[in-house]
Amino acid sequence: MAEMIKLFVNGVEVEVESGKNLIDALKVVGIEIPHFCYHPALGADGNCRMCLVGIEDGRPPLVPACKTPVAPGMKVQLDTGKIKKIQQDMMEFQLINHPIDCPVCDQAGECTLQDYYMTYDAQDSRMTVPVVSKGKKMDFGCGVVHDQERCVLCARCVRFTRLITKTGELGIVNRSDEARVTTFPGRPLNNRYALNVVDLCPVGAMTSQDFRFKQRAWFLTRDKGICHGCSKGCNIFIDHNREKYKDDIIYRFRPRLNEQVNGYFICDEGRLSYHAENEGRLLAARVDGKDCSVDHAVQAARKALGPKILMLVSPECSIEEMIAIKALADAVGTKLSGYSDGYIKAGDGDGWLIQDDKSANRAGLAKLGIDATKETFNGALNSSDAVISFNNDLFIHDTGSEFRQKLEKMKVIAVSTHNNTLTQNAAIAIPVASYSESSGSVINKDGILQHFGRAVQKNTPLADMTQIAGMLGSPIVTESDIASEMKKVLPSLTEVIPEGGLKLTESEAAHVPA
Amino acid sequence: MSDRSKLIVTGKPFRFDQERDAEFERLVKRYPTRESMILPALWLTQEQEGWISAEAIAYIADRIGTFASQVFECATFYTMYNLHPMGRNHICICRTLSCWLRGKQEIVDYLKNELGLKPGEIGADGKFSLEEVECLGHCGTAPVVQVNGEFHESMDVDKLKSLLATLK
Repeated sequence: MAEMIKLFVNGVEVEVESGKNLIDALKVVGIEIPHFCYHPALGADGNCRMCLVGIEDGRPPLVPACKTPVAPGMKVQLDTGKIKKIQQDMMEFQLINHPIDCPVCDQAGECTLQDYYMTYDAQDSRMTVPVVSKGKKMDFGCGVVHDQERCVLCARCVRFTRLITKTGELGIVNRSDEARVTTFPGRPLNNRYALNVVDLCPVGAMTSQDFRFKQRAWFLTRDKGICHGCSKGCNIFIDHNREKYKDDIIYRFRPRLNEQVNGYFICDEGRLSYHAENEGRLLAARVDGKDCSVDHAVQAARKALGPKILMLVSPECSIEEMIAIKALADAVGTKLSGYSDGYIKAGDGDGWLIQDDKSANRAGLAKLGIDATKETFNGALNSSDAVISFNNDLFIHDTGSEFRQKLEKMKVIAVSTHNNTLTQNAAIAIPVASYSESSGSVINKDGILQHFGRAVQKNTPLADMTQIAGMLGSPIVTESDIASEMKKVLPSLTEVIPEGGLKLTESEAAHVPA
Repeated sequence: MSDRSKLIVTGKPFRFDQERDAEFERLVKRYPTRESMILPALWLTQEQEGWISAEAIAYIADRIGTFASQVFECATFYTMYNLHPMGRNHICICRTLSCWLRGKQEIVDYLKNELGLKPGEIGADGKFSLEEVECLGHCGTAPVVQVNGEFHESMDVDKLKSLLATLK
């Protein structure tokens, strides 16, 4: 915990953390200083002049709050007529050449320029000369579409490509009212985090090809989630909406700040992984190629359970689901394997957010002592005559071909979120809710335990994995049973999992394979 | 200032000739970082070719080891760098505050009519090219016109007429 200091804002004493700049420090106590160019991950640039504040200590009349560290006894003025006039003037500058095309702009509803206009400006335009026209819907690459006219030249996107991804594709060319963001001819955006510039852009200049014109921002419900794209477990917002007469679907993922895990950003693959939540889903239960009710399929599966059935659990399952499935395996008296080498894409990770392991909860498998080695799996497969897979796609990314022939001779039961090669050839297929439609906890590759709640509510909700496990005969399915089981395997978990995730202790993390 | 971001792609590779190559290597030692070489390298290119193409900017960026976008920024920011071939007589009119207040528009309008050129253009015969530029640092004697690098101060239309007559 940083040292707390006292300073005055508009004559009122507030206590803030030392070592921060005025924008960040005062934000914590609920005082907003308007700004365009400052972003905590990109540092203070001081180019937008929107955060100018007065300090009563004989320094120059105005200072940018983003570049001013808090100091004890500092007297900050935010509400004087002079500051208000400056803010209004800065807004007028920003809007001189702005097209004001909010009705067709994707950012409308979550636009800094709109918000600040209502708060700090609210005057009619005095401009009588034609606006400077610049490039529209420019394809910058990586699914980023740029509108130069909407841009306020805060340079957040430029700084992101230079400071964070170190690829430097973007630059501000020309000067004065002709200045604009662009790429060098033949060198478009080319990095795996490019779509973060869409979130960073305070206005509608940077839009995502994927999200453009799909949904107005104010219709979206923003629920917190954990990205299941890889073992990093980046924190995200799941923005979804149920349109009239339609089903609840996800329109986009956005990064959610978690200093412990992903900071302010997520990778593009993870961001676009929401498509897999909407498409290619297994929706109907099937027995011997015929659609049937889930109950019927579960009853058929239950009959097949016995010591000669091998249970296969996915590293994508939450801890809760794994606990229920493990209890089921113990009750049935059969082997449980977490073999899932297909989920590892060797060499794909970049040492930052993107990981080789494309499953969300492999550490959870280890925590529960579920064996995931190929040898054990192969041995167990040879001594079994049936396999029940809990969302583990053996053939994901075209792997597991050596088991294909063996499985063809066996009875396969697939409890799955998605249609895949395993469900196609399964004697019994049972659909389950995916991670956006259920809640649970996962442990990421750094040993951080994170909880996610249910976001999407389908018109016809699918049962989640713990319910299916319960229907199949698992003795541990109620929330309280699972919670007490979790506390047994995770001693540092005393109460609920905190918002930012729980870093497991050294000894606990030691069980986690690297 | 007009939009200078539409670079000309020649389709031919660019590199420094032997003399400029040596000069680049001599200069690079003078600076703490290699990025400092962006402006001198742009000058060297302009000295060699008379103007700066997209290929030249990419070459400079790769030679220095910086982002092409950064060299692109510098080349478009400073109007002294020519991003297309110039006329035999390159006329720059300052458009910054003092010159604007002291009547640069009359000069621009006169030249537009007389030469049939808009700022940023080059005549078909290659005799003249016109550019509106940012502050040339002669605010006390505004408006100022720069022809082939030479300053002509306190300009008006009459003075401009006699100046144009001397140009070939």
